[in-house]
Amino acid sequence: MSRGAVVRRAAMRRAGLRTRVTAGFTAGALALSTAIALVSYQVTRSSLLAERERTAVRAAYLDATVVQAGLAADRPDILEILRSLDTGGNRRAMLHLDGEWYARNLDAGITDSIPAALQQLAQSGQPVVQRVRAGGQPALVVGVPLAPGTTFYEVDSLVELQNTLRVLAIVLTLVALSTAVAAASLGRHATGYVLRPLRRVTDAAQEITDGNLTARLDPTDEPDLARLTTSFNGMVDQLSARMQRDRRFAADVSHELRSPLQTLEAAASVLARRRDRLDQRTAVAVDLVNAEVARFQALVNDLIELARSDQPAERSPVDMVDLARQVCRTHQVSPEVVVAEEGAARVWEVDRRRVTQLLSNLVENALRHGGGPCAVRVGSEPDGHLLTVEDEGPGIRAEDREVIFDRFVRGRAAHVRGAGDGTGLGLALVAQHAAAHGGRVDVTDRPGGGARFQIHLPASPQ
Amino acid sequence: MTGVLVIEDDDRIRLSLVLALEDEGYEARGVATAEEGLVEQRSRPADTVLVDLMLPGVDGFECIRQLRRHDGVPIVVVSARDDTHDIVAALEAGADDYLVKPVAIKELSARLRALRRRGRTLDPEVTMATLVFGALEIVPDGGEVRLHGEPVALTRTEFRLLCELAQHPGRILSRQQLLQRVWDHTVGDERLVDVHVGRLRQKIEHDTARPRYLLTVRGLGYKLQR
Repeated sequence: MSRGAVVRRAAMRRAGLRTRVTAGFTAGALALSTAIALVSYQVTRSSLLAERERTAVRAAYLDATVVQAGLAADRPDILEILRSLDTGGNRRAMLHLDGEWYARNLDAGITDSIPAALQQLAQSGQPVVQRVRAGGQPALVVGVPLAPGTTFYEVDSLVELQNTLRVLAIVLTLVALSTAVAAASLGRHATGYVLRPLRRVTDAAQEITDGNLTARLDPTDEPDLARLTTSFNGMVDQLSARMQRDRRFAADVSHELRSPLQTLEAAASVLARRRDRLDQRTAVAVDLVNAEVARFQALVNDLIELARSDQPAERSPVDMVDLARQVCRTHQVSPEVVVAEEGAARVWEVDRRRVTQLLSNLVENALRHGGGPCAVRVGSEPDGHLLTVEDEGPGIRAEDREVIFDRFVRGRAAHVRGAGDGTGLGLALVAQHAAAHGGRVDVTDRPGGGARFQIHLPASPQ
Repeated sequence: MTGVLVIEDDDRIRLSLVLALEDEGYEARGVATAEEGLVEQRSRPADTVLVDLMLPGVDGFECIRQLRRHDGVPIVVVSARDDTHDIVAALEAGADDYLVKPVAIKELSARLRALRRRGRTLDPEVTMATLVFGALEIVPDGGEVRLHGEPVALTRTEFRLLCELAQHPGRILSRQQLLQRVWDHTVGDERLVDVHVGRLRQKIEHDTARPRYLLTVRGLGYKLQR
């Protein structure tokens, strides 16, 4: 795997598909709701302001008419006229007459809020409207020129409108945020829902990997999922049918080979018993037949064992020191060579039959190529068990170490000695049995000469 | 001379096995079908029976069951099938041992010798007085077992297994130890022990799910409780 791929995979592990989709949903919803909120705020604000402006202008003109009518009288009392206006709490009326300001007492000082530019414009006979700040509050100024040198002003407070807009802004923000939150939970829920069948596929695949070939996906009515379910189940059906065919074939072959072998074995033993009475040539032939029957038998058994490679290990607690001693006795090797390393567990959770064969094959290998095992150690390593078989033979050449665990590879030493009596499958089976336990085998030089085979098994079965 | 009956439908295997077993000192006879074997065993009982599983007509499993109905003669399966399923089924039907073809004649002979040993076990030092476990009485020398005073019919292998456990009351014997002492296996199949323990329980236990005498010690083996 390239470095880039590793980095990519790490990044994917940091943010899963679900997280990414949820984040996308949230970001999209937030952007959309924010945009909608901003637009609605702007539209509402400008329409409310326009409405307010129209009302203010209409009221100012109405009042201006009253003021103009009052000014038409002889010696008019301007303050009285202004007081007579019904301006409510929000509007303040002022009159600018020949450079003098007239206003009700209540409204004194408000004239400062009318910008000079606006006054000039009004004085030139132009009706004016402008938004200003009066005493720190937003307000609307409407100026109505009554006559040259005479302008009627009204200042209309916009505080209420501003409050309304503030409430609107808060409401819209809350709506935008809750939309985003809702989208996040929707995204999470939706991806969970969509990914559920994927998780079911994963579970089923895992179950099948673990050896349960009857595991299938439940049929579904969902049209989109039905195809996945059907094709997945179809694939598993085909796979398991094929595996069963293979297994049946192995069983058939084994049966067909074993029956004639039984005849050969029994007949050869009858011949061997009468070896002394045979002439020398026949005796040699009988020996050859016997040796080859034995080898053929071993070969058939090893082949059958290899054909069963997919079967999971049947674990039970096994006292490895006892087992190793037993295996040594079976091969006429002194059980003294078995060493229980200090601090290492003696009892392992393993498949007794397979580990027996594994150890048997290593001991046999040591007998055949290394003059017999000089040590069989039951030990441990940081994360598991360690089984070591050492011999004092010529060792394994570095270039051979890769291939000796392949099928039908025999030691060069055996080649030299001309005693090709192994099946060529012994070490392949060792590797396979180790793998069935989730472990592995390797070979190194023994310090002081010879080969050192080591089986590494995880302590806790995965 | 001791008699071995070989029930095997393959003529060549049957002939070669009979020849080889005669060489080993057994008086061996061969028949090709289960039906013939059952008749032969009733008229001239052999003291060990070898049986193949795949037989025409009545198959090996049924043959074992029918043989078992009459007596406790040691039955050894010699089959080319090595499925766990077949092995357990044959043992449950009543077989005493299971060998996968091709079996070496030396090994077959050793197994037969082990099965033909009488109830007396290997250790002659142990006094063979009647052993009492509650309502269960075992007479190793007489080959007798009584439960509440009633005799219990055990096969020779079941009896030897029970005696082995009875000689070490309350002590745990591992499956491997039992394989070695009862069957003479050096490296053997532990299912042999488990199936025989199950069969034994059906004969001596009131409730096989909650045994009173023959207890399983998880991960270690079995023991017989006083």
